[in-house]
Amino acid sequence: MKGKIVIPKVALLFFALGLTGLVLGLGTGSIRAQSQDMGAALEADTLDETQASKLESEREFPVPLTPLPKTITPCRACHGPEKDFPVNFKRREDLLVHKNLKLNHGGVRVWCLDCHNPDDRNYLLPLSDGKPIDFEHSYLLCGKCHGTKFRDWRSGIHGRRTGKWNGEKTYYRCVTCHDPHSPKFKPIEPMPPPRRPWTPKETKARH
Amino acid sequence: MSDQTDSFSKENSNSARASGSEIVQRPDSQPTDNRTVLSDRRTFLAGAAGLLGMIAVSSCTWQEFFQNNFRRMSKEEIEQTVHRLQEEYKKKYGKEFVVGTEAPLDATLFGYGLDIQRCIGCRRCVYGCVEENNQSRDPQIHYIRVLRFRDGNMDLEQSDIYYDPEEVPEKGYYYMPVQCQHCANPPCTKVCPVQATWTEPDGIVVVDYNWCIGCRYCMAACPYMGRWFNFTDPGIPKDQVNPNTHYLGNRPRMRNVVEKCTFCIQRVRQGIYPKCVEVCPVGARKFGNLLDPNSEISKIIKTKRVFRLKEELNTQPKFYYFFSI
Repeated sequence: MKGKIVIPKVALLFFALGLTGLVLGLGTGSIRAQSQDMGAALEADTLDETQASKLESEREFPVPLTPLPKTITPCRACHGPEKDFPVNFKRREDLLVHKNLKLNHGGVRVWCLDCHNPDDRNYLLPLSDGKPIDFEHSYLLCGKCHGTKFRDWRSGIHGRRTGKWNGEKTYYRCVTCHDPHSPKFKPIEPMPPPRRPWTPKETKARH
Repeated sequence: MSDQTDSFSKENSNSARASGSEIVQRPDSQPTDNRTVLSDRRTFLAGAAGLLGMIAVSSCTWQEFFQNNFRRMSKEEIEQTVHRLQEEYKKKYGKEFVVGTEAPLDATLFGYGLDIQRCIGCRRCVYGCVEENNQSRDPQIHYIRVLRFRDGNMDLEQSDIYYDPEEVPEKGYYYMPVQCQHCANPPCTKVCPVQATWTEPDGIVVVDYNWCIGCRYCMAACPYMGRWFNFTDPGIPKDQVNPNTHYLGNRPRMRNVVEKCTFCIQRVRQGIYPKCVEVCPVGARKFGNLLDPNSEISKIIKTKRVFRLKEELNTQPKFYYFFSI
């Protein structure tokens, strides 16, 4: 009687062992597959990084350029070499012609010529590659000091974008929202609050 | 709709008059017990016929009455329904409507980010949403509530949605807009007794307004108060109605149905940002595909500190609040 039971027991044991082996094999297989996927993902990440660094080295970032008003760039009309306005690095409150500007950017740390090019006023100061930045690409110069914000803006975390979430977008550049001379965001008027729900007036009824 | 309701009231008054005259006649004819039973049966039949007629003529068309759940409709049925709706809306608002039925895009799972440090509580998103999604102006329905908290306080019970200062942001306060969180484990869709609300493959929780019976179980189940009920016919001025719609999204709703934010399904299924993202003046609102590692929302989750509202309820929202600094 006992022998008869033992044989199926042994068979069952072998079956169970086989099953666990199968499961383990499948399990490790899937882990391997996962790790391969991870590898591919990592490769893709590094590729992206190289692409990003390439973009950075070429200073290019796909921002559609909106032309700025013509009035802001003929700076050379006054500040050109022939007009010979002396270049004055000293901070002063009375800005003569530029009375409409109230410089409120970084306190005493920032002065006009920390951004504007003293040699050619139609351009901004260059990055380390020596090429002067035009006003359309001013965000490159902003990124010189505000590096973390620039990084966030490039990946779409900081700032506004409109258009397609999976395609062509309109980028809002730094100076679209922030006045470069007084970059702090100005308070605005809020839209009206929601109406309060209707509630019955207090009655004299007693329960 | 108005002439339909007119016919409904006429029908009603007719039947009332008929039954009234019978009641008047009864004492003259000196009815036996038998006759009263008969006349009762007659009034019952008349009432039943009137009820059927009411369903047929007044509340909706036969086509609408026998319309299937959107998920069970065949292509032809969808086409017919869209055509019927377009005709109906044209009659009501005098505009050519587009009622889209775009299917979800492959390999997309929508996620939303909101920069809680940048939001200034100006409510531009609230009213942008109302215009885009054809919400009722009177009675008022706003998909987005902007909560104002005192600095350092995160108790939702102590927040205020009726704040109305001259200028925002105010000193000592911060703001947190709340709308449908598009949960991955939504309590609202589970409680629907007729399965009129469900999660689409791209993660948007939608409502089939024609299938909704208006029981409002979903509103009771939602811990974010992200759903709204049309107690009356929605009041939308004809000149402000948005004719670019989606069947599951911003098409004009009817009375007695529940509605909610759909991440502007009519826009995002065509690849466009939701309206609230576009109108935010400080760029606090972010939107993208969670399955794309280079999308804005994926990068936010990867690099910023994020939290989800009422995470302890295991609703698993796809709406991430984050701190940009």
